[in-house]
Formats: sequence, C-alpha cells, structure tokens
Amino acid sequence: MYRLGGVEVSSLLYTRGDTGSNPGKSISPKCWKSAGTSRQKSSGMTMEMSLLDDRGSFFKLIDTIASEIGELKEEMVQTEFRVRDEVDSPEWISIQRDMETNLLTERYDKKVPLRDSGYESVSYKPSILDRLFHTHPVWLQLGLSDDKVLDVLQDQPPATFLVRKSTRLQRKVISLRVPSDTESCVQEFTIKEHSYTFSLEGSGISFADIFRLIAFYCISRDVLPFTLKLPQAIAKAKTEAELDEIAQQGIDFWKSSTNRKTKYPPPPPRPVPHDYVNEESHQLPLINGVHSIRTRTPSELECCQTNGALCFINPLFLKVHSQDSGGSLKRESTKTQGTNGKEMARSPPPRPPPPSINSHRSSFQLSRFVKQEASMPETVIHSRHGSLDSPTKNTVPIPPPRLKKQATISRCQFKDKNSSFTNGSSCGSSVESQPEESPPKKIMQSINLNQNCDIRTRVALINQRLSDVSISTSSSDSYEFDHMPPPGYEGDSLEFCEEESDQEGMSPPVKSRNKRASSLGFSRIMKSHLRKVSGVFNSLITPEKKMIKKLTAMSRDKRTYFGCLVQDYISFVQENRECHVSSTDMLLTIRQFMTQVKNYLSQSSELDPPIESLIPEDQIDSVLEKAMLKCILKPLKTHIDMMLKEFRMKSGSWKELKENLLLVRERTPQELGVLTPTPDAVDVEKIKVKLLTMQKMYSPEKKVMLLLRVCKLIYVCMENNSGRMYGADDFLPVLTYVIAQCDMLEIDTEIEYMMELLDPILLHGEGGYYLTSAYGALSLIKNFREEQATRLLLSETRDTLKQWHKRRTTNRTIPSIDDFQNYLRVALQEVDTGCTGKTMIVKPYTTTEDVCQMCAQRFKVQDPSNYGLFLFIDDTWQQLSEDTYPQKIKAELHSRPQLQVFHFVYKRINSDFQGIISYDDDSE
Amino acid sequence: MAIRELKVCLLGDTGVGKSSIVCRFVQDHFDHNISPTIGASFMTKTVPCGNELHKFLIWDTAGQERFHSLAPMYYRGSAAAVIVYDITKQDSFVTLKKWVKELKEHGPDNIVMAIAGNKCDLADIREVTFKEAKEYADSIGAIAVETSAKNSINIEEVFQGISRKIPPLDPYENGEIGAMKLGRPSLQSTNRCC
Repeated sequence: MYRLGGVEVSSLLYTRGDTGSNPGKSISPKCWKSAGTSRQKSSGMTMEMSLLDDRGSFFKLIDTIASEIGELKEEMVQTEFRVRDEVDSPEWISIQRDMETNLLTERYDKKVPLRDSGYESVSYKPSILDRLFHTHPVWLQLGLSDDKVLDVLQDQPPATFLVRKSTRLQRKVISLRVPSDTESCVQEFTIKEHSYTFSLEGSGISFADIFRLIAFYCISRDVLPFTLKLPQAIAKAKTEAELDEIAQQGIDFWKSSTNRKTKYPPPPPRPVPHDYVNEESHQLPLINGVHSIRTRTPSELECCQTNGALCFINPLFLKVHSQDSGGSLKRESTKTQGTNGKEMARSPPPRPPPPSINSHRSSFQLSRFVKQEASMPETVIHSRHGSLDSPTKNTVPIPPPRLKKQATISRCQFKDKNSSFTNGSSCGSSVESQPEESPPKKIMQSINLNQNCDIRTRVALINQRLSDVSISTSSSDSYEFDHMPPPGYEGDSLEFCEEESDQEGMSPPVKSRNKRASSLGFSRIMKSHLRKVSGVFNSLITPEKKMIKKLTAMSRDKRTYFGCLVQDYISFVQENRECHVSSTDMLLTIRQFMTQVKNYLSQSSELDPPIESLIPEDQIDSVLEKAMLKCILKPLKTHIDMMLKEFRMKSGSWKELKENLLLVRERTPQELGVLTPTPDAVDVEKIKVKLLTMQKMYSPEKKVMLLLRVCKLIYVCMENNSGRMYGADDFLPVLTYVIAQCDMLEIDTEIEYMMELLDPILLHGEGGYYLTSAYGALSLIKNFREEQATRLLLSETRDTLKQWHKRRTTNRTIPSIDDFQNYLRVALQEVDTGCTGKTMIVKPYTTTEDVCQMCAQRFKVQDPSNYGLFLFIDDTWQQLSEDTYPQKIKAELHSRPQLQVFHFVYKRINSDFQGIISYDDDSE
Repeated sequence: MAIRELKVCLLGDTGVGKSSIVCRFVQDHFDHNISPTIGASFMTKTVPCGNELHKFLIWDTAGQERFHSLAPMYYRGSAAAVIVYDITKQDSFVTLKKWVKELKEHGPDNIVMAIAGNKCDLADIREVTFKEAKEYADSIGAIAVETSAKNSINIEEVFQGISRKIPPLDPYENGEIGAMKLGRPSLQSTNRCC
C-alpha cells in the first residue's frame, strides 16, 4: 500500500480511465506508467497556465477542469455507492482501519477515536495553514530591519524563518536561519509578487497568498535548502487558543520562555534518516542523490493541498515518494472544522446519495441520510461556540485603529490586536451560527422536492457535488471559512451556502465511511486528490474577491472601527443635504473620504492578517479601491444622483445646457469642424443605450469602461472601413457632435461623477483621456453661445479646469484620520416617539455642552435645559458632564480590547422612562 | 524591470501630423505586448531605458484654435510634451512658440519638451530651417528633431530623446507611479511596538 504514495496530484486528473473503472484495484504498473505520462501532460498544462496572461481565458480553463473534476467525482461516487450497499460488516470496518493505519503510517499523537456521529468537536487540531494564520504576528514581520532579523534568528534552530520586507530589495523575503557554520546564519529568499500570485524566486510554484506559500515550504523545500520549520511551540500547539496565546506575544515570542523551553524538543519517536530537516544539514542536495528531494505521500500532499496551499505544482518537485516522518508539522496538519483530525486528512466528505440509487432507496434510507446531513451543522455550530468560550477567543477585541500617527495607542493594546483574529471572524462568529443552519436545509429541501424526478435530482446533486469540488479547500480552511462574511452580508450568499453545505461534508457519518472501505480506499484517495486539485484552482481565483467581500462585510459591521467610519459617514451624507455647497464639493468630499479610508485600511491593524500577506503589493490599491466603491459609493449612489440633479436644477445650468444642446444640434457636422464620416441615427441610438446603462452603474471605473465603448463605436464610424487612424484633431469634433445628438442632460452629471470619483491613478490612462475629452466636448457645448462671439471659451471654464486639476492632484496627499473621525451619532430618545438618530460633525475638542446645543438644534427640542447627553453602555446610563469630550469618550471606548456596544443618547434628564430602547433604527 | 508610466502630451497646429507621428511610433515594430488602445488619440508604447521600462501614455490634443482652451486638461501631469510643427508651414512654427510659452507658464514643472519638425520629406518646400528650430530649442532647453512620419524618419529618436531626459527614479521610489507606495511606513512602527 505504500506505493500508493507515488501517485501524484496532477496526474490524477488524467488517470480517469484507470480509476473510474477500477476503483477497488490496487495500483498496477500500468497505472504507474499512465501516471508518468500524464505528469508530463500536466507539466505542460502548468506551463501553459502560467504563461496565460489573459485572466479570462485562464479562468475558463479552470472552469473546464473543475467541471471535468466534477464529472469524474460523480462517477466515482456512483461506483462507490454500489459497493457500499453490498458490504457493511464489522470486518470491513476493521480492514479499513488497518488500511488506514498502514496508509497513514505513524501517528504518534494519541489515537483519535473513530468518528461515529460527527459530534466530537473536541479532538480538533489546527492545520499548518491554521497555525500560520493564527500566529502570523510572530513570523510575519514585514517591517523588521536586517539587524533585528539577525538578532531574532541567531538564537533559533536552523530552518526557523521570518517573513519580512527587505528595505534593501524592496521585496518581501523569507529570512531563513541556516546552520551557523556557514558565513551568515541567515539567508534570504526573495518572494516574487506577480500579477496575482506569490512565489519564491527561482521556483515555478505560485501561491495565492503568503500563508499558502509558507505552508507549502513547511513541507516541501523546493528551491530552499531545507523545509521551513515552525517554532516547536507553534507546531505543537493543540488548539487555536494556544496559538492565539502565542500570537499575542508577537515578536517577543522569539525571546520568550514559551519558545525557549520547547526549542530543542526530543526527536520524534521514529527518526527517519531521509529527513532533511532533522539532519540540519546545510549541504546542497545531490541532484541524483538520495535526499535531494524530500518526497511525500498523497496524504502528506493533502495536508497542504486540501488547505489550498498549492496553486501550481511543479512536477519536478513532486516526483518521488516515500513515507517520511517529517516531524511534527505534517502530522498535525489536519482540518480545522472537522471533528476527527485523523479522518479529516484522509477521507473525502460523504457523498450525497447518487441520483440513481437515491430514487430507489426506501424512504427510510433517504430520511436517514437527510437526517445526517441536517445534523452536521449543529456540530459545527457547537464547536464554533466551544471555541468562542475559550479564553483567548473570548477576548478577541475589535482592534482600534492602528495608525502611526496615533501615538495614544499603548503598547499593550498593540499586543492585544495582534492576538486577535480579524474582525471578520469576530463579527462573523456570532452571526454565523444562524445562517449556518439554513444551507443544509436547503439541500434537504432540494432532495426532498426532487426525489421523484430523476433528472432534477441529478442536477441538484451534481450541483452540490460541484460545489464540493470547487469549495473543498476553502471550507476546510478554518481561516477562510471564519473570515468569510456571513451569508446575510452578501448578495452572493448562494456561493456561501455551497460552502456551508460542503462543511458538513467534512465529517462523514460512520456508515458511509465503512462502506467506503470496500473501495479499498483507492477512490477515496483519488477523490481527495481531486478535491485538492480543484481546491488549488479555487484558491487561485478568489483572493481578491475574498478580500473585497471581507471588507464589504466589515464596512457594514458597526463593531469594527472601519465599519463605524463608513456607516457614520454614509448616514451623515444622506442626512445632511445642506452640508455641501455644490455638487463638486460633495463628490470631492466623498472621493476624499474613500481615499482616506483606503489609506486607513492599508495602515490599520483591523485587517488582520495584513493585506500584504494576502494580496500582491501591486494589487493592493486596486483591491482596496474596488472595496471602497462597493462599501461607500454603492450605498450612496442614489443619493448622489439625486443631489447632482438637484444642484443642477437649482442653478439652472441644465436649462442652459438643454438650450445649447439644441443649438449645437442645429449645426451641420461641417460647421462643428467635423471632416470625417459621423455616426448615423442607428449608431447614435446604440450610443444612447450605452449611456443609459452607464447611468445605472455606481462604479466610476465601470462607467469609464462604457465611455470607452462609446468612443470605440465613434472611431469605428469615423474610420468607416477606410483604415485611416484618426487623432484628436478629428475625434474631438465628432465626439462633440455625438454628445449633442444624444441629447441627454444626464451625460453632464455622469461625466462629473466620473471625473471626481475615479481613482486618481486611472486618470492618466486611456479612461482618463477619453473622460477628459468628453468633459472638453461638453464644455464646448455649454459655452457654445459664447464661443460664437469670441471663438474662445470663457476664461471661467479655464479656471474651473485648473482648479479641477489642482484638486485631483493634491487629493493624493496623505490625509489625516481626524478628517473623517469627526462624526458622532446621537440618538434622541423621547417617551412618546421612541428613538431617532442623527449623525453630526463633532470635533475631538467639542464639549458635551456644545454637543447638547447641536442636538437641541438638530432635534428641534423646545426646552434644551431639561435634556442631557447620556452614554448608554452595558445597560446602564451615564450622563456626561458638560466639560467632557464625547469624541474622546468614543475613541476610548473603541480602543478597549473588549468590544462594548454603546450609544450616545440625547434625552430628558429627569425622565423616568429608562426602559429598554431599541436601537435598531440607530444604524439605518 | 520597473515599469514607469510617463504621460506625454502632443501639441501643435492641426494638420502638422501629430497623430501620424504617434501612429508611426506605436505601430512600427509592432510589439504584441502593447495593449491596443481604442483609437489613435490615445496610444501607449513601452520602451526600455537603462534599467527601467518607460511606458509612454501619449495624449493627443486637438490642434484647432477653438479647442485651445482645453489643452491644460491634457498637458496637466505630463512628464513630457512633444510639440509638432510642419517644416513647410511657418505658421505652425509660430503656434509652436505659443505652446512653449504656455507650457512654461502653466505647464507642469520640469516638463521635458521635444520639438518635432514634421514632414522633413518635403524639404524642398521647407519654410522653417532646422537651424532656426534648433537654436530656438536650445534656447528653451528642448530636444529638436526633424521627422517624417511618412517615411518613418527620426520617429523613435524623439521618444528616445525624451527617455534620456527623464531623470531616473530614486531606487527607493522605484515602481509604478503611485500604486506601489501604500501604507508601508506604519507597519514598521506597529511591528516595533509588538
């Protein structure tokens, strides 16, 4: 059975014929051969992929592969089930147990009891990825200097590592402790950040983020002299709580007693000579030598891969195999969410009954199955709650903003923050429990409803299985799972449901497991590999989307500082129409706010782990920008549109524009300076449709894309198959003509929207160019009458342009947090009317007295002397004395490690009515 | 190699061949790495320069008098300007001088200027001598080249000249404009605290 280890992941994609038909057969030489050839094939594929610059076609390729995997899995499920029904005896169980022991070889952790119900959430153990994720404050030290690295690493055993950003190279590097008899005891390996992935220089393997990269190099050395080694304390930790405790120490961990006392642990029970790491050898690997390449069995590969560690597998490094002991790292890399660590790594999730069998089953069997399905989420919830109860989890704070400028934040608070999981997780954990229940129900329903209809069942089940395929990695990753926003947050909750449904799949009920034994464990391994491969693709597709999702969820969660900023700002803008003197002013402040929040996010510790570890550096800004559009612009879009229109109506500029458009339309193209063919009525209609679509979008980038399409269409009309290229001399007059022909006043607001809100970085590109041209053309139309007289634009327009330029360029200076911190939400509580909330600008040094005055005005209170500002916290009321500063109180509350819900309430001082107030209306 | 985006603005009378120069520059030795643009008014081309790659973002402007007032929008933020005149039209050289003056007054500081006398294939009906152009260029510290978009003469030279005059970036500032430098400093401070 050891030879099973030789089958490598990538080859499995292609050995379909062998495996599908002979699931129970042990591997024959023929299989070996086919595995070999397909390896070549897959290496070709890998190359091809990495060469594909075009994202679109790349993902199409992934899609194709994923669907193929889906089919293959379906096939395997069917064969498996057939056997399953036949054999279900205790002997088989024991045989399978033996097999499993064989396959897994040594497992020197105490034997985990066989899973029977999936209810044991006790024996959960973190995977490498989890370990890395939880303890990143220890090893991920982006700002660490060269000297400090040496200082930290020189006391550590070889193979210990840190990830940091080298100031010399301006790149992220792995600083690796190498045996000290060499020149320097720290060697550096540069991390390349290519458009969408991270990889080590010289290696052909790319990863979606730093965590996956490190996880991979913890078990495979690839281009490194040896594999990376986590400090013993981290590698040995048994629970997330332990890991969090370690993480709290941050960089101090290295010098701490926790690290020291576990530094030189007894060697693993079964030392293996091939183990490169344990040898602490610094000699370079022999090319054909015995220990040149450390090899892994599929089970080990799975350790990293089900966790999505791999993106691309360089077949060169995945050739040979032998079961190795590998030290504690691999042993402990089990799934997070599962109940049984041992089983997790090896067994695939239980399959839904295959369609054909399903329909023939007795209703009892079906209901039994459904029951199992339904019961699983409870387990998950249970375990989640369990972890919440653990001390560290419990103290997960909402980190206050960590900004360089804010010197007030104390040292210990930093530690606190470091220890915390992200806000995403903390906000998710309480909310999640509810939605978690629903997805399985959904599936239940779909099974129940469709059981009479074979085809539909089939479809439903295939879908489910496909979701299995595409989701397996991320759901088995505790961190991704934890960090996903609860389904309620997103429009695309379906996707999440699928993940959830897969979740229960991770702990198969004992029955199905026993049955699987009959397949001699082979198809099981196959499937787990397939899941790995699909997981690989999945992990590649999503980092950017995941980040945007996470940020969007955070922005709606008022318990995060970021969420507070965004929500307060949004409600402020919506409630205070009169606060902007012009549309430009309004858009300008919104743009500024977005830029500031972006800045805040890139500096803040609220994003934990730091965004740099998940997104390649050259992508960070664009990811944040997209997130900002979604978090801030999307909810404000309707309001902005309305305000833009209102400003124009009020100023009468639209009336003027309408007249001028008419005037321009009366001219012939020649009179407008057009010397080329112009778009005809049909084309103008097409353009109008595009412009209408543009109005529905909130993202200025997408609007600009549409503008480009409009311009492209104009070019096509101009060129009229002549093959001539036209420059601005010809294009601008035609553009002016077309804008007049379209006769849409909204173009005016659309252009302003784009001009002011577009990411400044994009202003130099093609979008910026045509936007400028459109603005120019519209200015010409607006000043058409004057132009008749003077043949020149008013100097006024010129000034506007200059100002605009100034604005958009100075915009980029680093803003201060104070600018957007100054919002305070105050609720008015009245006995008869309940609560109403208003957001006000309150500066840090505004006293309670002043705030009371503002409240009296805003709420139109007749007898302000009877009212006071109260802080409602922990179910108690505290009246704020007149000389306190509400903003400071707010800041202080936000910086507390433990999250507390609090509200500022403006209410009658002597009111008896102090009952429970509903704050539901507060945020909306 | 770091890619540096350089905005280049094209100025000059209508009909002097501004866009022809760009089309020639961008489309000769067609390189599939260039992402094609939707039209000739805005084109890009990346050329190596020392240990950097210069990606020229070339903004064409409409040369007609009535569009003159829009020019500031086009030349703002430009690293360089190519001002084109027609060697067979003295008027276009007069306009060129106006553009230079405007750029000096309102243009970006340190903008690199290149003067291109186009249509040098029509030297027999020349109205502007190269000596005159060269002297003027020297007086304003600009590059002077006579080009022919038609015969593809000296086109590359204009942009190579610009590349050479663009000061190399400080290695620490290295990277694409704007996009690379986000939030690094604060991280250092936070880590020190832990």
